[in-house]
Amino acid sequence: MAVFNIKKREIECKIVYYGPGRCGKTTNLEYIFKSHKKQIDGEMVSINTEGDRTLFFDFLPLELGKIKGCDVRVQLFTVPGQVQYSSTRKLVLKGVDGIVFVADSMEVRREKNMLSLKDLQHNLKEYNMNIFKIPLVLQYNKRDLAEEGIPIMSIEKMEKDLNRQIKVPSFPGSAVKGDGIGKSLQSCLQLTLQYLNKQLNWTK
Amino acid sequence: MNNKIKSILKQAELYRSQGLLNEAREKYQTILDLIRKTDQIKNKDKLLEGLEKKMILLEKDIELVTSAPTTPEMSEHVNTLIKKLFSFTKDSEKSTEDDAALEGAIALAKFGQFDGAIVEFGKLLEIDRLRVTSAKNILRCHLTLESKDDALNQFAEWESSDLFSPEQLEKIRVLFNDMLEKKGMAASQVNEQAEEAAAEIDEQDDEEEILDISAVAITFDSGPHKGEQFELDVSFQSGNIISLIISSNDEVLVESLKVGVKLEEVHFYSPIAIFRGSGVVSAMTQIKSGPKKGDFSLDIKIESI
Repeated sequence: MAVFNIKKREIECKIVYYGPGRCGKTTNLEYIFKSHKKQIDGEMVSINTEGDRTLFFDFLPLELGKIKGCDVRVQLFTVPGQVQYSSTRKLVLKGVDGIVFVADSMEVRREKNMLSLKDLQHNLKEYNMNIFKIPLVLQYNKRDLAEEGIPIMSIEKMEKDLNRQIKVPSFPGSAVKGDGIGKSLQSCLQLTLQYLNKQLNWTK
Repeated sequence: MNNKIKSILKQAELYRSQGLLNEAREKYQTILDLIRKTDQIKNKDKLLEGLEKKMILLEKDIELVTSAPTTPEMSEHVNTLIKKLFSFTKDSEKSTEDDAALEGAIALAKFGQFDGAIVEFGKLLEIDRLRVTSAKNILRCHLTLESKDDALNQFAEWESSDLFSPEQLEKIRVLFNDMLEKKGMAASQVNEQAEEAAAEIDEQDDEEEILDISAVAITFDSGPHKGEQFELDVSFQSGNIISLIISSNDEVLVESLKVGVKLEEVHFYSPIAIFRGSGVVSAMTQIKSGPKKGDFSLDIKIESI
């Protein structure tokens, strides 16, 4: 639920990082926090539980500066990925404007990725939103694990599993190394701002 | 065989380092089974002993994760952040600071921060139009915290004060009784006098007690589409008014559901059951902007359920 203040020429939108537990959503935000210092508008907040698992959400405010004469502020959130935090996940998703779905490239997490995408679709529907229409990008995280000899899925296989129907931009990534993290966010922001422009006409 | 074991062990260690504890357990188990079946491995007993120790530690980690509280009490700072980030009405032109405060308090409760939520709802008791809602939520929080005595004491305190009008107090009492019954607690513990007074209250009086409706199935009982059933998702609900979105392509519905039309056969789908009832179309407006532009927003007032 983006907020557009016409008088002040300010727009604030909400991007949510979604995905199965331990897929690297928090690591994405941590990398952005370290690498985009100039754009960070405050502290990163993480509310964790045992084993560094996200309990409620991570939050990182960004200040993108002026775009088409408008000050653009972005709130980045992650949802808790663990299955048992379903209601919290839904709560964090409320008012979302754009989504980065972080999928885990490890073979053993194949089913979890698909279940999480299904869960996203279900929760969006609960808010009367459509996974085919909302600004969404996919990130195939943990590509670096191939170097460690860990079985990971090919990009083609992940595309077939997750992107066959929704057909959204997708990026290979490694949140621990920072590969593909900026691209995923940039693409999601671009889609989101375009989408919001259609709704709110904020560039005029 | 050694290489195979090493490779699986590497995977197990990595899964563990990634926090994928169940996946790590599976791999350790695979190695244990492999070693047990094979006689040609040197130091077999030592290896098994080492792996079993790893398994014990892993099981402890799994236990820690699974038994961690899902809604621990958070710091004041976190609670302030939750209130700020999850009160959306603050951005709406029509809403007030009080509405935002109410939404913030509800967000705290939804995140399981019941003690903090009780404090916030308590502040809102001062606001006349939010008093009853806040009071109900205070009682809900107490009961969710299993603090039945606190809830009873709170209600007794309100009864003896002049904070609420008699009508407001009765609304709260009816809901409180209902909550106690659902929790399997004896409703008779609420003041007997209030109990007697409750018998005189019209149930329709409390609009907020309408169940959450997620979808409806409307069957036309007259006109060219008599007998046809249409299922629609509920996009919003306020008390006994539910809002539905009708696509502009759904000409049958757009034409048939004019304001004032009585819907005698409606199935209301709630999270717990399907109810049969009736309603009346109370509003129908075309959406002027946004992704649903051109579609229609239809309000149905639930008359019976």
